[in-house]
Amino acid sequence: MILFQNITKKYRTKKILNDITLEIDKGTLVALIGESGCGKTTLLKMLNRLIKPTSGDIFINNENIKNINEINLRRNMGYVIQNTGLFPHMTIKENIELIPKLEKKEKAQIAEKTMKLMEMVGLVPEDFLERYPSELSGGQQQRIGIARAFAMDPEIVLMDEPFSALDPMTRSDLQDQIMSLQAKWKKTIVFVTHDMDEAIKIADKICIMRNGNILQYDTPETILKYPVDDYVANFVGKNRIWSSPEYIKIKDIMIESPVTAIDSLSVSRCMDKMKKNRVDSLLLLENETKKLIGIVTAKKLRTIEERTQEAKQYMQSNFPILYPDQCILDALKMVKEENVSRIPVVDQDGYLKGLITKGSLVTALSQQYFDVEEE
Amino acid sequence: MNLFHYFIQEHQQISILLLEHIKLTIIAVGFAILIGVPLGLLISYISKVSRPVLMIANVIQAIPSMALLGFMIPLFGIGSVPAIIVVTLYSLLPIIKNTYTGIESVRAQLLEAAKGIGLTGTQILFKVQLPIALPVIMAGVRVAAVTSVGLMTMAAFIGAGGLGNLVFSGIRTMNNVQILAGAIPACILALIVDAILGYIEKKVTPKSARKNTKPKSKWHYRLEILLNLVLIFAFIGVVGYGISTTYSKDDKKITVGSKDYTEQSILGNLIAEYIEDQTDIKVEKKLELGGTQVCFGALKTKDIDLYVEYSGSAYSDILKHPASPDVELVYETVKDEMKKDYDIDVLQQMNFNNTFTLAIPQKTAKKYHLSTIEDLGKVANQFVLGSTFEFLNREDGLLGVQKFYNFTFKDSIPLDSSLRYQALQKGDVMVIDAYSTDGLLKKFHLKTLEDNQKFFPPYYAIPMMRSDVAQKYPEIIPLLERLGEELTDETMQELNYQVDELHKDPNEVAVEFLKSHNLIDK
Repeated sequence: MILFQNITKKYRTKKILNDITLEIDKGTLVALIGESGCGKTTLLKMLNRLIKPTSGDIFINNENIKNINEINLRRNMGYVIQNTGLFPHMTIKENIELIPKLEKKEKAQIAEKTMKLMEMVGLVPEDFLERYPSELSGGQQQRIGIARAFAMDPEIVLMDEPFSALDPMTRSDLQDQIMSLQAKWKKTIVFVTHDMDEAIKIADKICIMRNGNILQYDTPETILKYPVDDYVANFVGKNRIWSSPEYIKIKDIMIESPVTAIDSLSVSRCMDKMKKNRVDSLLLLENETKKLIGIVTAKKLRTIEERTQEAKQYMQSNFPILYPDQCILDALKMVKEENVSRIPVVDQDGYLKGLITKGSLVTALSQQYFDVEEE
Repeated sequence: MNLFHYFIQEHQQISILLLEHIKLTIIAVGFAILIGVPLGLLISYISKVSRPVLMIANVIQAIPSMALLGFMIPLFGIGSVPAIIVVTLYSLLPIIKNTYTGIESVRAQLLEAAKGIGLTGTQILFKVQLPIALPVIMAGVRVAAVTSVGLMTMAAFIGAGGLGNLVFSGIRTMNNVQILAGAIPACILALIVDAILGYIEKKVTPKSARKNTKPKSKWHYRLEILLNLVLIFAFIGVVGYGISTTYSKDDKKITVGSKDYTEQSILGNLIAEYIEDQTDIKVEKKLELGGTQVCFGALKTKDIDLYVEYSGSAYSDILKHPASPDVELVYETVKDEMKKDYDIDVLQQMNFNNTFTLAIPQKTAKKYHLSTIEDLGKVANQFVLGSTFEFLNREDGLLGVQKFYNFTFKDSIPLDSSLRYQALQKGDVMVIDAYSTDGLLKKFHLKTLEDNQKFFPPYYAIPMMRSDVAQKYPEIIPLLERLGEELTDETMQELNYQVDELHKDPNEVAVEFLKSHNLIDK
């Protein structure tokens, strides 16, 4: 969809952007993030040609934007900036309809679109259309700013720190708004921010920049878990992941090779195996397919007199399971609701992948506090 | 005459002048907007030129309006064109400045937003910058318009017309009612213009940016304008009257007074120096006091003991007789009534008659073979007269002379004093009124037309002295008679010329004259 190719920007001798290559897929929301002066806004403004690169090319749908008429390019690209950029002398209606009118769209069509847009950003049209921007709260103004950006049904929307001047509550509301918009419309959104929480919350991919270079461009999860270097780790914050526990996956915290036994093993052999491995349960796998079929516990087996019988008879076959891609919250919830102390992790086909126990959860959760103490 | 009465009587003239005033102001402010707004835009785009442009506008603003008006004459002649140019120039600064400020006040971020959503440069200017700057620009226009209304009264100085005509002619003829008849409509007009433009200014301010102005501050502002205008007119009035004088007594001492123009100043000096040299009386000079009323008043109150009046002025202005061309009648009546009513001795008439006359360039005289006013009357319908306000408005001036000789000028343009001569030089007018002893007649080698049928009243110089002084110092009388014999029209023209045009000191000119005519010892 969007491709930055070897983009360099210099102001006199100062390099703002250094050979940036970046590809943004259609329908994704990419957050450009970094400290001030890292070049994120410069990169954004190159997309609607407010700033021209010193060298390099930008392609949208494989067309070099150099060859697109500047005005057309901008009109078909939403643009939302900090402090709204609404025109103070125009009513809300005039603000939203400015470009559609200049593009000579049909009147009825424009009016209808305006209603839809107002609905989309969660404002009652009758209450707002005839008012002036200064009569609205900051959050309402920014909602109008977003509505205006969507007025021409652009494929691409640029947002330059749109929420940074808002109070935390309003900001959070608007972030939710963007997420629900994005879920519905699947626009390609380039979003500049300096707020990591915001980026993690709303972005499909985050592009971390520093001194005109891209340090890491990946999904929030990957960046949280595998920061490429100390700077990114620091920038992300070591404990950042604990504020986004949905990114802590079962596969990250499970015991990867739990103690198992084949289903034909006898009770006494099972007891021995548990003792040897200092565990209080065994996961029974079917002999031929190696699929998980049940759990036997030491507590249960101890009560059995005939220890030569197959342990299989005494296993629990009805038990909760987790998938590797579920998150720690699912595990905690399950432990609490089902009142179980061990949950096997299996894949879609029923093969055992690991095990979550109360012990492993405690270990995982305690990590954040040990990290803090280490610092 | 009562002001209200004057308004009723002259309402037609006043409304014509008022309309003229409005027209001139609108044209001037219109030009100022047409020039100022684009200039303001230009300097907001090209910041390099903003300093020089604003500086030039500031400098223009700083030039006294009279000076600027005078400066326009050689470039654009007289009439409404130079007046409009001057008022336009004065109006430029607030308009340029406010346009610039208004455009600059649009936030850079907003401009980027406008650009970013795809407005073209022109659209940004007309849809964003100008609408946002409009209230500020309008405020500038409002200031310019209100100032222009006041300034336009000055334009009468170079014959542009408007309410200033009344003000200036009122000052010249010492007619307070007439001054007010010009000044009051001008004040009201300024207030109305301010109110209308204030309303427009409010209308173009987006609702969001409107503030609730406190009525107090609004009235405060109005009051300020009113006060300013009143002050301006009061100042003009005060200059017209001159200053009052102090009084002191001494045994062998007299005080000589004079009116406030060159000839009077020379006469005062001549008399003072002559008496001082020829007698043992100490002479105190209180020259350039003001007009007829001031000098005559000072003589009555004993602030001065002696000054030179003109027979016609004493006859009509002081004694309130209808003007008469009869030299003997005028002189005898003045002499008798002054003695009888005011106990003032009128001495023998001097040899010069500073009356009205009409003057034309020598070549015009040759071309049309003109030597008398009667001759002029035959071709007057081709002639444009450049006239002082005084002459234009007096029964014994233009109105009378046209009626008496039965002719009408093609047009007559009111002009102030020396500007008439320049206008004549430039060919803007073909004939001017003049005082027969005016030094400029000599400078420009003009031909004065003889009043062959005797219309203009005599304005022979007559020394007037309170009788008590005449009795106390009888030796003064023959001296003044002797001096009067020497002073002819031509002599006075020469003396006036030396002061007015050669910029010599009146006292120096007087002393030189007395010496060269052996009236005083070397």
